[in-house]
Amino acid sequence: MDCEKFDRVVLDLLYAELDELTAAAARRHMEHCARCGPIGARLRATREVGVLPTLEPPEDLEARILEAERQAHARLPLRERLGRAVSVMAGYAMRPQLAMAALLVLVFASSLLLLRRGPGDRESMHVTERGVPEREGDSVLVPVPERKGGADPGQPAPALPFGHDQAARSEARSSTDHVDERTAQASGREAVEEATDKEAESKRGAGSGTDDTAAYDRAMAEYQGGRYAEAQRQFDAVAAAGGHNAASAALFAAQAVRNTSGCTAAAPRFEAVASQYPGISVANEATWQAASCYERLGQRERARQNYTALRSARGYGERAQRALDSLDRAGQAVASRKAKAKAKAAAPAKAKPAAPASKPPPTTADDPAANVDSDRVGY
Amino acid sequence: MIGLAAARSDATDEMLMVRYQRGDREAFAELVRRYQRPVYNFVIRQVRHPGTAEDVTQEVFVRVVQNAAEFKHEARFTTWLYTIARNLCIDHLRKQSHRRHPSLDQPAGGASEGRPLGDNIADAHPSTDVERAAAASEVQACIVRAVEGLPEEQREVFLLREVANLPFKEIAEVTGAGENTVKSRMRYALDRLQAALSEFEEYARALR
Repeated sequence: MDCEKFDRVVLDLLYAELDELTAAAARRHMEHCARCGPIGARLRATREVGVLPTLEPPEDLEARILEAERQAHARLPLRERLGRAVSVMAGYAMRPQLAMAALLVLVFASSLLLLRRGPGDRESMHVTERGVPEREGDSVLVPVPERKGGADPGQPAPALPFGHDQAARSEARSSTDHVDERTAQASGREAVEEATDKEAESKRGAGSGTDDTAAYDRAMAEYQGGRYAEAQRQFDAVAAAGGHNAASAALFAAQAVRNTSGCTAAAPRFEAVASQYPGISVANEATWQAASCYERLGQRERARQNYTALRSARGYGERAQRALDSLDRAGQAVASRKAKAKAKAAAPAKAKPAAPASKPPPTTADDPAANVDSDRVGY
Repeated sequence: MIGLAAARSDATDEMLMVRYQRGDREAFAELVRRYQRPVYNFVIRQVRHPGTAEDVTQEVFVRVVQNAAEFKHEARFTTWLYTIARNLCIDHLRKQSHRRHPSLDQPAGGASEGRPLGDNIADAHPSTDVERAAAASEVQACIVRAVEGLPEEQREVFLLREVANLPFKEIAEVTGAGENTVKSRMRYALDRLQAALSEFEEYARALR
């Protein structure tokens, strides 16, 4: 690390916003550099001693704020209040426990409706059946038409006297029927098992939706804790799984990349999110972030393209227009500075004393709008 | 109910906002509990009047209510909140630009205002050493004066970093400036603070 790089990162080091490698390099540089060591020490001491005293708000401020919220909520447009009420009810309706309870009630109600009356008088019951009900222990004798050519080749012809052949054939036939019935029963069982498997699979699908939310929440906790590299890895996994949090996860993964590696790496990722999830708010936010990154990198044209795409997006139109106006002003300011520098270079140069080393460096090239009074960020 | 309260206190700000959007007004109350003090401190260091700071802080949260539907959970709540606070402070300061406000260490008003605001310091462990307390008070008064004396752009960056505890990237989003510009302003602010504190023993001790 050199002194120029140290000047760029010293505040990040002071406020623990550096990754560990760079922080270690900066600390080593401080230990060995006669210029940067005292600079870092003075800033650290200033921060330690220069703690602004915290003022306590009045005790009733919280109550006043909540009362103001109550009144503001009452003044919300009817449509918005209805929308929120519907959202609350929909939220309750979507909860799995309520959905299962509703399903159970439906099942019970329908089973009650489908209950039959008792059998009543047996003689008045109409049954649509063929044949004779089988009683336990009896074999069924079904008259079988005689085959041409004698006994069934698949079955051994018993050497029985006349009169028993018929019985033997009918038994063979009924055993074949039983085989057929067993085959039918088996395929029926298979169909039931297949349906059960499908039901289990759909249940597993519902469970994975819960897993997806849990994974998303874990990734968000990493992000909120400042562990961006880990957060990015987890968000990428959630996005790759393709659940209902995929779009948000992809966006947050890109933001984590920006926090660890800066806009150079993050800007293309934001654009990828916008193109992968078109037509939803995530895409608009990703486009905004990409534009912001390109602006910081000094790539005005790419920034302009992204801001222009947001002019017709709900909630972004005004901000995008302001950003485009700011870009235009910055472009004019840069052009003006270049023109002045050119004019100065043409005039005879006057020697100036060198700036003292302890002064902070000027703003770098990736923030050319530093001296422009930029517009307020809307909300 | 205890479980719900515990869940709210563990929830991130963005989750609480999403719940508030869905009608959970206790989620909003939790956000107020978390942020009324830092927002109040940010505002009061800008507007320098306690009554005005209370009104502006209240208005910040009212704006949160009125615009709750527009909050996108992919964004950071603190960025949004402090953008609102900053904009309201700018609006107020523009209206009051022809008036000068006394330092917060001066009595702010009539008898009803009570002691100077600088005395209203959150001090959980009051010092029993009178001399040390007096010296600490002098250092703090110096810090307050130095911060109040900062140019507006440097002061707001300093307050967003030190009071609101926002990272520089977020401060850049709140102020609409580039991140390097934000860091430059912060560096200038710290340099001025350092110049003001250099005469104090505490500073010399911290240097070692």
